[in-house]
Amino acid sequence: MHNMEMGSIRVRVPYSLLLIGRERGRYLPAILAVAFCAQLNILQWGVLLGTLSVLSMPIDRSGAEVWVASRNALSLELGHPIPNEWEARVASQPGVERTETYLFGFGYWHKPTGGSEVCIVVGSHLGAQALGALVDLTPDMRARLTEPGAVVVDAAELDRLGIHGVGDAAEVFGHRVFVVGLLHGFKSVGGPYVFCSQRTARMILPLFQEKPHDTMYLLARCRNATAVHELIERMRQYPDLSAFTREEFSRRTRWYWLTQTNAGIGMGCTAALALLVGLVVTSQTLYAATAASLREYAVLRALGIARWRMGAMVLAQSFWVGLFGVAVAMPVIFMLGSAANFAGARVLLPAWLFIGGNVLTMAMALASGLAALRSLRLVEPITLLR
Amino acid sequence: MSSAKTTLQARHLVRSFGAGETKTTVLQEVSLDLYEGEVALLMGPSGSGKSTLLAVMSGLLRPDSGEVIALGQQIWQMSENEQRRFRLRHCGFIFQGFNLFPSLTAREQLEMVLRWSGGISSREAERRVEEILLRLGLEHRSDLTADQLSGGEKQRVAIARALLKEPTFCFADEPTSSLDWHNGEQVVQLLRTAARERGATIFIVAHDARIIPYADRVYYLEDGRLCGKAISQP
Repeated sequence: MHNMEMGSIRVRVPYSLLLIGRERGRYLPAILAVAFCAQLNILQWGVLLGTLSVLSMPIDRSGAEVWVASRNALSLELGHPIPNEWEARVASQPGVERTETYLFGFGYWHKPTGGSEVCIVVGSHLGAQALGALVDLTPDMRARLTEPGAVVVDAAELDRLGIHGVGDAAEVFGHRVFVVGLLHGFKSVGGPYVFCSQRTARMILPLFQEKPHDTMYLLARCRNATAVHELIERMRQYPDLSAFTREEFSRRTRWYWLTQTNAGIGMGCTAALALLVGLVVTSQTLYAATAASLREYAVLRALGIARWRMGAMVLAQSFWVGLFGVAVAMPVIFMLGSAANFAGARVLLPAWLFIGGNVLTMAMALASGLAALRSLRLVEPITLLR
Repeated sequence: MSSAKTTLQARHLVRSFGAGETKTTVLQEVSLDLYEGEVALLMGPSGSGKSTLLAVMSGLLRPDSGEVIALGQQIWQMSENEQRRFRLRHCGFIFQGFNLFPSLTAREQLEMVLRWSGGISSREAERRVEEILLRLGLEHRSDLTADQLSGGEKQRVAIARALLKEPTFCFADEPTSSLDWHNGEQVVQLLRTAARERGATIFIVAHDARIIPYADRVYYLEDGRLCGKAISQP
């Protein structure tokens, strides 16, 4: 420890921190490695969360509290058509205020400029109290969408769809569609979303032309939370149905994509690699720093000072290196995240991700300190006697 | 016979290195006594076993046979932890080179030893560091890092570090080898003062014959054996 006079206050600075401060050049690689590790991990997961959030956005931005689907629907894209008449199963339950059908399917968008794109067609009711319609749809858009063939798309998808904006037309499975409004924040990693009325969806999706009396989902709103859970329990008793709260279905959809595609595995591997790089660089730096002071530590050992004191110093240094690395990383993460969002990519950086990422990074730094402790085995006073 | 109290006794010390045909016996039945308040100087040519003898007598290197009795205790019958505690309480060391943390100030190097030794309050540690800095004439250089000190100043810090805990024994291996004689003489004077004023037992291993006048007792080691009797100076 070292006492520093700051006015009338005496501040005690630990030796571990003093050495890092005065030998910045030696410790900088470790600090940068930790910062790199924290940035890579948090930003990667931020990108993944952003990507996954778009996949569940039609669920998250709907007004439905309960989603009833075919048996064992793994995600929003993986439902099967169910009969419209099963809506009565839902509507007849106590505490249910409103029910709706909801269409969802894949289509071919034929661009006016030539070529085609797989798109995701979402057909919902459009009234002010509608459950399936996105809360982002303005009253004006909802009114315009009632016209057959009218669709709303994300502004960032215009290029992909080969159109320029509102008023432009294209074809889906040979049916003319035209854009009546643009949304923001719905740019998908899969096909572009095409939001429309149920009537338009039935018109352009061959699946529902073949099955005009089917729907993909049944949505419900209940009087209270108890009614929501009772409804879900009862629907689950039907062998041919599955039912979820909005949050459950959203999480299920994201979880499916995270675990059943290579996205999650790939991201996990890269995160592990970043941790490994951070671990190796930091532990080697701390090892080298300790090894450079072996003679000084050996004198302290000769004087009878316990080895654990030196071990504690190495661990304290790993803590400070971790803390400085995280401090360097945070503003960079914010800047890169903002830049990515500005460029149209969706990067989510919730507080829990920061906390989790930083805890993981600090654990990595401390683990590297533990790994560097092996250098203290070389501290032997007898080596000082030539 | 000396009237001073014997503090450290070496009896029939044998120490060898290597094995088989390459085995070299560095210490051969070495016995000697060190006394309270005296400076003992061990001289001899390179490779004669001086540093090995210092290491064995100070508890840093186990002998093949023989015994070392310090303050009435057999130090080579102690456990490793007991030895460490013994050194913590009773021993100071000065090695060749200065072995100071380059980026810590003189004051920090000394405070570190006291704080890490434990059992001492911050206020007491500061007081003792201040006192020894003053005694060694380092009070105006105390906030310079080791890198900023001259060779003589560094060695004085190393001596301060060795004497800081007011040890019973101070073992010095070639303490003047990195210094000119002006600084070297100061170092030896400081060690002699520690012996005279505090009754410390100082054991110096050196080549430099200019130290002889400052020693109370001079031993000569050649090929692992003490030659003749210790020269006791008035």
